[in-house]
Amino acid sequence: MSDVVLVVGEADGDGLAEPTREAVTVARRLAGSQGTVLGFVAGRGASGRAAGFAAIGVGQVVVADDPRWDAAPPAALARPVAAAASNAGAFAVVVGGSSFGRDLVGGVAVALGASAANGVTEAERIPEGVRVRRPVFGGRATEERRLEGGRAVLSVRPHAFPAAEGPPTSLRPEPAPNAEPAPAQLAPARTAVAAASRGAGPGLADAAIVVSGGRGLRSPEGFRLVEELAEALGAAVGASRAVTDAGWRPTSMQVGQTGRTVSPQLYIAVGISGAIQHLVGMVSSRVIVAINSDPSAPIFRVADYGLAGDLFELVPALTAEVRRVRGS
Amino acid sequence: MEIVVCVKPVPEAESRLRANASGTAPDTDGVKFVLAGYDESAVEQALLLRQAVPGSKVHAVSLGPPSRTDEVLRAALALGSDSATAAESDAPPMADPIATARGLATAIAARGPCDLLLFGKQAGDDEEGLVGGATAEALGLPFVGFVVDLRFDAAASRLRFRRSVERGEESWESPLPLAVGLQQAWNDPRTATLPAILRSRKAPLARHAAGPGAAVAAASVAERFALPPPRQGAKMIAYRDPQQAASQLVRLLREEAKVFP
Ligand SMILES: Cc1cc2nc3c(=O)[nH]c(=O)nc-3n(C[C@H](O)[C@H](O)[C@H](O)COP(=O)(O)OP(=O)(O)OC[C@H]3O[C@@H](n4cnc5c(N)ncnc54)[C@H](O)[C@@H]3O)c2cc1C
Repeated sequence: MSDVVLVVGEADGDGLAEPTREAVTVARRLAGSQGTVLGFVAGRGASGRAAGFAAIGVGQVVVADDPRWDAAPPAALARPVAAAASNAGAFAVVVGGSSFGRDLVGGVAVALGASAANGVTEAERIPEGVRVRRPVFGGRATEERRLEGGRAVLSVRPHAFPAAEGPPTSLRPEPAPNAEPAPAQLAPARTAVAAASRGAGPGLADAAIVVSGGRGLRSPEGFRLVEELAEALGAAVGASRAVTDAGWRPTSMQVGQTGRTVSPQLYIAVGISGAIQHLVGMVSSRVIVAINSDPSAPIFRVADYGLAGDLFELVPALTAEVRRVRGS
Repeated sequence: MEIVVCVKPVPEAESRLRANASGTAPDTDGVKFVLAGYDESAVEQALLLRQAVPGSKVHAVSLGPPSRTDEVLRAALALGSDSATAAESDAPPMADPIATARGLATAIAARGPCDLLLFGKQAGDDEEGLVGGATAEALGLPFVGFVVDLRFDAAASRLRFRRSVERGEESWESPLPLAVGLQQAWNDPRTATLPAILRSRKAPLARHAAGPGAAVAAASVAERFALPPPRQGAKMIAYRDPQQAASQLVRLLREEAKVFP
């Protein structure tokens, strides 16, 4: 039985993105103490990124040092990744649960003749392959699935696992096997990137803490209370649809059924009633705090900690307390 | 432009969610299957492009048993799709998405030309978001997911769009053909008119057997489906004044929940 797991590395500047380090944690668990975790990087400067793998103890890295990958869509890597996995005899390919990873999984599975799952919160090696667990129906249920057929491709739900750490090892790069995508697959090109509009804070999708505000904030000015608390916590800012529909804040901040799905370590809902369309976007957060003046608001049913009271008093006090304990 | 939209039947949002008798999948007894929300937006996107690019056609394709696909295909027709194809398979509702993709790819290739292949972000039930990328790979098409604001630049004969991702918004362009996973409902999907609904009831559906095409060596097998035990409800923090409320909450987050730095 093979004991090799391939992890596809996503770039973040010159280094490896956080979701990739979470994928390495899962790959190590699957490979077991005797197994091998192999890295894969592509694009110009891939060798630099390979060093990011070595820094967390993954020394063996397949490198596709080819500038064509820089502007190409993530899915164009499906065939090269599948070829590298095949070549190494890997029984699993694991990627982080970012947009990069989620765009890649389906194509790799088809190219490899493997089964696949996105957004897993557990992964375990079993004789038939890999067993995964993942939230479904907007976090209202979980499913367990057996990925059979000897090969499995999966992406890891953000924040469900700790990011892998060292000790560092020496880098042993290997050239990627020669595998071309279909010519058309390289045709779409990225022409520009605009950094997230709220440049200061972390992005909503990968923040460890999210503070969201709702209609209870009453006005665009009132919404600043939420942003101040987020800043003190180093958190990303989210909003309910009541806020984005009213134009207080951009739609990109909306959490819920028609907005983003987040699953941070900590979600703080301020002046949000907890409509089902909002809940589906955040119920799988690890710890939920709700601040609302109405003790019977549905948000308290999914929250772990509740403060019933006036947010205009509670939030400034909380911001001050956070600043105090964090010593700023 | 020949636009193909893949649409998935999912349990109606209001239907009660519970596990089946063997505890391996959601119970579908008496559950109505409807067009998935994100797929409805994908149909809308297709119709907007057809309006913008004269001579375009919109084709809806859905995979599953007729008892589930026909309803959503007729919904897509009622909204304005030009044709509808059922890729017949006896796959259960939350079937292996890779097998689904292979079945869809076979049906799409057999249906005719395809310049633009559209998918909703993910289905409201299994939330895999795998089928778009997998179908594209099976057809040898390029795939881009998380797409918003998709437009066709007729002069340059190129699609232009943005991709909304963690680190910001990317601008993209691509020649045809292309497969796209749409990020979300930026558009307000239209509602079908009554005459259109009545017409769609009688419209012919093309049928294509996806059974053998969908069968692959590797497969994923559902083992368990469970609703989480209901959250117990929040621990309500009693307090004298806002300062004390804040310090209690911070202490609990640090010491009990261990989420606070
Ligand atoms: C198809 C569809 C899709 C949707 N998609 C989404 C989505 O993606 N995301 C989303 O969020 N919603 C979505 N909605 C809307 C959703 O149903 C709710 O209308 C919305 O979430 C309500 O936002 P809210 O909680 O901010 O406002 P409200 O429901 O008005 O709640 C405001 C809350 O603030 C509290 N409050 C007021 N004053 C104070 C105070 N001084 N101190 C403390 N608390 C106070 C109130 O008690 C109340 O609970 C969708 C709806 C539909 C039909």
